[in-house]
Amino acid sequence: MVHSKKFLSISKLMLSAVLLACSALAQAAAPADPFGSVMWQAMVDRYFTGGDVVFDQRVKVIAPYSAENQMHVPITVDATGLENVKQIVAVADLNPIQHVLTVRPKQALSFIGFRLKLQQSSPIHVGVQTEDGTWHMGGALIDAAGGGCTAPAAAHGTSNWMQTLGETRALVRRDSKGDARMTVRMRHPMDTGLAAGIPVFYMNKMVVKDEAGGVIAELDLFEPVSENPTITLKPAVGSSASQLAVSTRDTEGNEFSFPLSVPAVTTQ
Amino acid sequence: MTIDSQQRRALLKVLGAGCGCCICGAAGARLLEYPLHATEIASKTWAVHGELSHFNLENGGNIVNVAFIEVPDGVVVIDTGPSKRYGQALLTLIEKTVPGRPVLRVYNTHHHPDHCFGNQVFDQSLIAAPQGVIDNINLDGNGFADNMYRLVGDWMRGTAPVAPGVALEAGKEEIGGRQFSLFYLSGHTSADFVVRDDTTGVVFSGDLAFLFRAPTTPHADIATWQGAINELSGLDKDLILPGHGPADKRGESLVQTSDYLAWLEDTLTGAVDSGLTMNEAMQLPIPDGFSSLSVVREEFERSVVHLYPALEDQLMPLIDVTR
Ligand SMILES: [Zn+2]
Repeated sequence: MVHSKKFLSISKLMLSAVLLACSALAQAAAPADPFGSVMWQAMVDRYFTGGDVVFDQRVKVIAPYSAENQMHVPITVDATGLENVKQIVAVADLNPIQHVLTVRPKQALSFIGFRLKLQQSSPIHVGVQTEDGTWHMGGALIDAAGGGCTAPAAAHGTSNWMQTLGETRALVRRDSKGDARMTVRMRHPMDTGLAAGIPVFYMNKMVVKDEAGGVIAELDLFEPVSENPTITLKPAVGSSASQLAVSTRDTEGNEFSFPLSVPAVTTQ
Repeated sequence: MTIDSQQRRALLKVLGAGCGCCICGAAGARLLEYPLHATEIASKTWAVHGELSHFNLENGGNIVNVAFIEVPDGVVVIDTGPSKRYGQALLTLIEKTVPGRPVLRVYNTHHHPDHCFGNQVFDQSLIAAPQGVIDNINLDGNGFADNMYRLVGDWMRGTAPVAPGVALEAGKEEIGGRQFSLFYLSGHTSADFVVRDDTTGVVFSGDLAFLFRAPTTPHADIATWQGAINELSGLDKDLILPGHGPADKRGESLVQTSDYLAWLEDTLTGAVDSGLTMNEAMQLPIPDGFSSLSVVREEFERSVVHLYPALEDQLMPLIDVTR
């Protein structure tokens, strides 16, 4: 039977994950996964600990059914219907590296847009943890061709990518409701360390602050975030014009920082 | 379709990739045969129309227009379809339609797999295209083949990409007593090749023109494509056979393709400039004028993925970074 080998390797993975989790803390069984992931219990044990886990319609995960480009699969998470959000954690269950990112939206709406690399067809789970510890879950199933995480970054095909490292484009707009939204796009190969001969090298931190130095949002990024990370956030900065300060860091210790101007809401 | 059945289908794919399970077994038990039909669109000129759809397990990738022409000394073929099996069915159809006539020339309009993956059944020294098309097949052919096996499965059995053996650069060539004009364009891909039969005035536009089916953009440069459409609009011609869709007497395929591309570019420019995420852009409404195009929602969503990154690099201002 051709299936058995695959199941065997997956169950081995699950077993090691379960053992790991058990040694730290005995976990209750997770609720049934509407996405039917074979890795679901392992994902809960690894990434969604410290509170109840519930599937919640208020966590909207917008993803294409089929990945047109498995190196750049767009995901938008909208959990603005939830109050008191502590953090948002996104994982791709069947990727060799599952953790995609964590966002702590301190003074931002519970909303993020990003792109990820998918090694194969996989369920995506997004957990939104509220102050009471509860994980509110959403997710999506994405059909993909293979190769997303182990293929080298496109940047390595060009000779001058080190010079453009950290080159940044950004845009801040007000939407029709007056909410500010910022999109930042930074040149970075986001090397996973899984492609032969290319060591791990990725942007792992982003912090957005307001004029007074108050934290708007903190992001931990991981290897599955796509090359040239393109991140959309909604800072909660009121209706007048203001300045944001963005700083990012990668795994080699390179730091990049820049200001961004938020326009005032235009009244008509 | 309900979320549930979508999820179940995707999960089956996740679990069953490349396996000998019941689903694959059922497909394998079926006799796979392309129902090819030759439609005479001009004197001694036949189109073989595919579905106005996507690659899937039912159609075996037969979503494309292929054509053949009886010239004084034999047959000229334009594009070869999505697989070796299609190529064989095409040869059978040609033999049935114009018995005993040798194939003298095979043109490839561009490197997309639905247009050239039947090349294998023809003598490579008869297959001709511009060098750019040959380079693209050499570069992307194997990747396309992997993807096609995944999408249409057993229909692809034995198929391997074959690049044309003849690199064209002349403006005209005579084949078997018939003169053809050759046009070297780009925009749908980096090398799009258009052939005109100077006797019948039929223009074989490849995928520079679509009719009643939404255009595809995986390798498109919209501005260049519009330029190519402009050029085709100015050509002397009696009929266009678009890459997908029915034969077109009135140039409707050029107008429709151009209008759709203009809307697509405008819409995505506006979306990037408003800071919409790709997923939000994919949900934008499709205007009435295009909503009847086959598979337009799916192609629009795919186009967002294809075209967004370049638009972001073009429209989002560069920021001074302290490092
Ligand atoms: Zn094409």
